[in-house]
Amino acid sequence: MLLAMLSAPALAQTGAPTVIAVPPLATPENVSSSAGDTGLIARYVADVIASDLRSSRELVVIGPENARVYSYPEATAPAFAQWRKSGAKSLVTGFVQARSDGRLTVACYLHDLAGGREIARKGFVVAPAEWRRAAHRCSDAVYQQLAGRPGAFDTRIAYVAESGIQSARVKRVAVMDSDGTSHRYVSAGDSTVLTPRLSPDGDRLAYVSFAGGQAHVRMLDLANEADRPLLPGNAMSFAPAFSPDGKRMLFSMAVGGNTDIYATNVDGSALQRLTSAPGIDTAPGFSPDGSRIVFESDRSGTPQLYVMNADGSDPRRISFGGARYAAPAWSPDGELIAFTRVAGDGLRIGVMSASGAGERILTRGMQDEAPSWAASGRDLLFQRGEGGRTMLFVVSVDGGEGRRIVTPQDGSDPDWSRPGS
Amino acid sequence: MRRTILTGLALLTLAGGSLAAAQVLRVPMPRVGPRGQPPPPPTIEMLQADLLANSGSDIVYFTGNSHGLDAAAQATLTAQARWLHANPAVRARLEGHADERTPRDYALAIAERRANAIRDFLVLQGVPAAQLTILSWGKERPAIGGTSDMALAMNRRVRTVLMP
Repeated sequence: MLLAMLSAPALAQTGAPTVIAVPPLATPENVSSSAGDTGLIARYVADVIASDLRSSRELVVIGPENARVYSYPEATAPAFAQWRKSGAKSLVTGFVQARSDGRLTVACYLHDLAGGREIARKGFVVAPAEWRRAAHRCSDAVYQQLAGRPGAFDTRIAYVAESGIQSARVKRVAVMDSDGTSHRYVSAGDSTVLTPRLSPDGDRLAYVSFAGGQAHVRMLDLANEADRPLLPGNAMSFAPAFSPDGKRMLFSMAVGGNTDIYATNVDGSALQRLTSAPGIDTAPGFSPDGSRIVFESDRSGTPQLYVMNADGSDPRRISFGGARYAAPAWSPDGELIAFTRVAGDGLRIGVMSASGAGERILTRGMQDEAPSWAASGRDLLFQRGEGGRTMLFVVSVDGGEGRRIVTPQDGSDPDWSRPGS
Repeated sequence: MRRTILTGLALLTLAGGSLAAAQVLRVPMPRVGPRGQPPPPPTIEMLQADLLANSGSDIVYFTGNSHGLDAAAQATLTAQARWLHANPAVRARLEGHADERTPRDYALAIAERRANAIRDFLVLQGVPAAQLTILSWGKERPAIGGTSDMALAMNRRVRTVLMP
């Protein structure tokens, strides 16, 4: 009975927030590395873990500021009685150690203070510059253990950074860690770019570019920034989406006033047409198991959401809420479909079940669009237009106020990667 | 109403800084320039101004999510077709746009559909299809910023852009 309770996720048991202590990590010996002293990195890793866990809004975090500092041996054998006095229920410890090959070992441990035992551990060997990545993965492990859901801290956000006047916006593809760090631009800004989409492994990015005139889908290799069109020729293509296994791409192609959905391998081969209805079929996205596709079509007269099999068969309309619907996105657990709802009161973000039931509107802006799921399936990242500016926001699928994601410039068309990518 | 605005714009153009260019286009082109040199060919800006002056407008507007052409649009396009027919060496790019209230992907698709509706109309009026190309800007190049009804209406458009 007691064991069963301990193994159940802490957050699932009660409504009260769990208090967790995150003191600075230890180091067996303060050694200089290419990214700084190991003692300093140990403190930074704790900063990142604390910040990640705070951003979940489900945990109350003590530290690393003013938290008790412990020695290296205490990382695996903490003084439980001492930590219990802080009021915390859980404790994260760990260490950063320089290796003889120039890399770092980053280890973290999650302890249950009441039970006085370790309940999770993670260790990573990384290049010194990659310590932040290791910290996010520690956060993921801690969150997974406490919440019973995968964390999404070791994830990236791709989006379009915008600047300049509205009639001639300069748009560049940018990629950052989901906490806003490691921000970089991956397109030059000489051509308008839209809708970046990270591949499931995080190595590539599909996006739309107006380079050369016509909008078309391009594929960018993030490691070396090699960039090429997805398809040969100069057809107008847009709305790219990766399959969950990263091998296929969905997109729209417009020919002679008729837009349809196509699929192809990520190298552009094996082109397959999936829709043939007159009218506009666009904004395709796969279900998480890859068996079905949700998309937007105006075959009924106004833009509505449809679900079809991955081979294009059996399309069925799912939106019947009396408005126009766009930009569908299937949730990671397959249960929900997020969308942009277009009505007289503006553009809003909402969710419905994958069968179309239970529509709920989550945001109250006038120009909220382009939802993208967090890996947790609990949050949606979207773009909000306000007073001629566009910004990135996150809203919980349970509702509540949106939270702004600060970017160096205006931001639009966000895409949140899957964990481990 | 639309006609009134456009006539006003044309008058403004004639009264403003481009008066000289407009006058050049309204007199017959000299066959021989000064000192017997051939005259410089008209610039693309001069040609665009001439299309505007002779067609009433180089822009056609749409309502809602439609791509249908009302009587005013058809009158403008009929005049554009005459001009294009008379200037067969000049290529035109039909640039389609959607308003800010249209979600991104649908905006690209509907702007392409609008530009194609214009192309089909011009071709029916006798303009060779090879003289025309299509470009959809989606909602990326609004003529007017903001989401007022006026801005939305002014941004749902196809502009006939002459190409060098």
